[in-house]
Amino acid sequence: MDGQIAMVLSVLLAGLGLFTLIVRKELIFKLLGLNVASGGASLFLVAVARRAGPGVPIIGLGPAPAADPLPQALVLTAIVIHFATLALALVYVIFLTEHRHTQDVRHLERLEEE
Amino acid sequence: MRWLAGGVTLSLVGLLLFASLSLPPGSEAPDLEAIAGRYGVRNAVAAVVLGARLWDTLLEVLVFAMAMVGVRIALRPLSKAQEPPPVPESHLLSQAADLLIGPIAVFALYLAASGHLGPGGGFPAGAILGSGLLLLALAQGTERLARNIHERGLERLEYGVVALLISGGMGAALVGSPGSPWLITANLLIGLEVGIGAWVVLHRFVAHRGEL
Amino acid sequence: MNAALLGVAAYLALGVLGFLGRGWLAGVLALAVGAGALIVWCPGFPESTLGPGPWGIRLIGDTVALGFWSLALVLHAAVLWEEQRRRGAFHPLLTLLVGTTLALVLSRDLFNLYVCLELTSLLSFLLVGYEGRPTSVWASLQYLILTTVGMILYLFGLGLVYGRLGTLALSEIGSLVGKGDPVVSIGAGLLLSGAAVKGGVFLLGLWLPRAHGRAPHSVSALLSGLVVKMGIVALLRLGEAFSAGPVLVALGVLTGFGGLVYALWEQDLKYFLAYSTMSQLGYMLIGFGLFGAYGGLLYALAHGLFKGLLFLSAGKAIVQAGLRRIGELGGRLSWGPAMGLAVGTWAIAGLPPLAGFAAKGVLGAALPAWGKWLLLALGVGTVTSFAKLVPLLRPRGGRLQLAGEIPLVLALFALSIWSLISHPFLLDPYLWGQSVFALLAGLLLFSLTRRLHPRLPQLTLDRTALTLLLGSVGITLGLLIL
Repeated sequence: MDGQIAMVLSVLLAGLGLFTLIVRKELIFKLLGLNVASGGASLFLVAVARRAGPGVPIIGLGPAPAADPLPQALVLTAIVIHFATLALALVYVIFLTEHRHTQDVRHLERLEEE
Repeated sequence: MRWLAGGVTLSLVGLLLFASLSLPPGSEAPDLEAIAGRYGVRNAVAAVVLGARLWDTLLEVLVFAMAMVGVRIALRPLSKAQEPPPVPESHLLSQAADLLIGPIAVFALYLAASGHLGPGGGFPAGAILGSGLLLLALAQGTERLARNIHERGLERLEYGVVALLISGGMGAALVGSPGSPWLITANLLIGLEVGIGAWVVLHRFVAHRGEL
Repeated sequence: MNAALLGVAAYLALGVLGFLGRGWLAGVLALAVGAGALIVWCPGFPESTLGPGPWGIRLIGDTVALGFWSLALVLHAAVLWEEQRRRGAFHPLLTLLVGTTLALVLSRDLFNLYVCLELTSLLSFLLVGYEGRPTSVWASLQYLILTTVGMILYLFGLGLVYGRLGTLALSEIGSLVGKGDPVVSIGAGLLLSGAAVKGGVFLLGLWLPRAHGRAPHSVSALLSGLVVKMGIVALLRLGEAFSAGPVLVALGVLTGFGGLVYALWEQDLKYFLAYSTMSQLGYMLIGFGLFGAYGGLLYALAHGLFKGLLFLSAGKAIVQAGLRRIGELGGRLSWGPAMGLAVGTWAIAGLPPLAGFAAKGVLGAALPAWGKWLLLALGVGTVTSFAKLVPLLRPRGGRLQLAGEIPLVLALFALSIWSLISHPFLLDPYLWGQSVFALLAGLLLFSLTRRLHPRLPQLTLDRTALTLLLGSVGITLGLLIL
């Protein structure tokens, strides 16, 4: 039980997020799905770090054995990257909503063909 | 379509679950002394982020700055709200904000400065600073706050900080194990960068929306 | 190694400083420093680590890195020359994008590749939508969403591989991977899928036609010429580590013909060139899959040059004529775009003595018999798809105004001469005859099929996301079986 629950949950989160991304028609919900899926990926990496031990990877804190600090560092970077991605995607969604007056991807595609 | 999407997603999830549950349990505990001790700090994650994998962190700092740039240039041509966002008439809010911004800023500074000794570091410090500024904006109104903190100047400062981090960081990485002064400086600079960036992003979104 | 890294750092720092003003100047400075750095580390450097011990980031300065540095610098020079009048964030963004590609090709670390790939996605995203036209913004958003999905899969794969093998360094992974370990196979499948999305592979990277077709013209040149190759380089690095050569070849065949089918009947000039890029990626993947680093390198570099040239000329043609449909552009081009398109078409059709011929010849020479037939079929198809550009090559007169095309054409000639000299077997008249045959066969095929107008499935966001996941499952299963 060393982080396996977290691993399973993270995979389910990712699946849920990706499914939402494909199936929902409105752009904002697609972005929400993407957000959830990114969270799943980050959680997966943290779970991988947990496998080495339950402790905090700071000298002098927490029980030994300590968790692996490398995946935790990776997650830090990944979270920042996902934040930037989502902020920028959101900006373009706002832009499109203002110009095309719709969030439905079917309408957006139809407007493309003209 | 729905069925196909569900099927494909389920197969992907299945493959992932199979793989993760087949991972043999627990690897050797990492040698914290080896990694953290090399940089003279106690927080191994900070040692990894700002030491061993510094190059990744520099690129990540660049990514964050690009979010700020992107939000600025992409929202600029859109119709901004007609009147500036109204300043809320809440005494409680403005008193609370004025009281709290001090501790918030100090806490952010503390997190950044002690990131090499305990949990924290530049990134959460910057996020806290940005949120603190948002709190002030709730009380004062975003436009007035933007003027008060010289937002244009801060944006230009941000570019300078990022360039400094990239050049300084590359220098530190090539030199080898620069030790805790570098980690502290880097944490503080990153905190500044993330704080400014977070504020600019929040401000642009609020200004576009027209109200808080 | 230090010179290369300093060059990259200078590129990135100057790019950022460019936001303060004088972005074009910062770009030129970065180019100068980058070229200087290249000269310094030119002999290459073996795999080295940036950072202490097992935790550091592995980098390598091999021929692949050298080749792409040169390509990147030439393309950057072309765009700098071409877009001297742009203000604002355009040039800083471009400089940062080129700088990131310089960083990526040096990398032999799983996570470093991830960060570089994501950074190129963000920067390309901003550049594609730069001019703020709704169609470009939509294309750009589709691009960002799909590449992010790909990178999420990549992260899962990275977690699995690190969890199983305990290292992020590709060379160590290469030696640690045992045959038939399902965890590593699934992880590798996800990693490859993520890279394949970025690399514009047929099922996974169907964002490519729209993004490259709708970007500002010089941005399209850079994207098709350089940035899309970053995903291919990632696939190469990953493929070497996980012994996934056959998967790359399969992806190459799929992408080569899939892109070709769409290219044959596409009437919008820029979309057509984008589909052609997708098809040409097939050559590179087959080369990299069968022969490792040197297999597809020549083709990748040649394609970067002539596709960049094609996009620049196409952009000018569209601006001059005011429209984008190939059928209506005939006879409306001035000398500059017409010549640019002519040189590019000559190269991509694989006609001697240009680099396209050399690249196809070098690749074909090493292939088994079935491979040679495959390549011939692709070559004939390429000629057929480009045949419709012939009416455009007749200029209507006007002055010859060249800008960014000059460095590209010069580099293309240089590459052509170099490849002919270093591969003397290319002077065999049999090969020359073969390419003429491909030319004639392609033209014949074109005249036979020009009346056909099949309806191909539209590449909507939902469908492309679905094919992405489908493709990733396919790749993962493929790796499990192997």
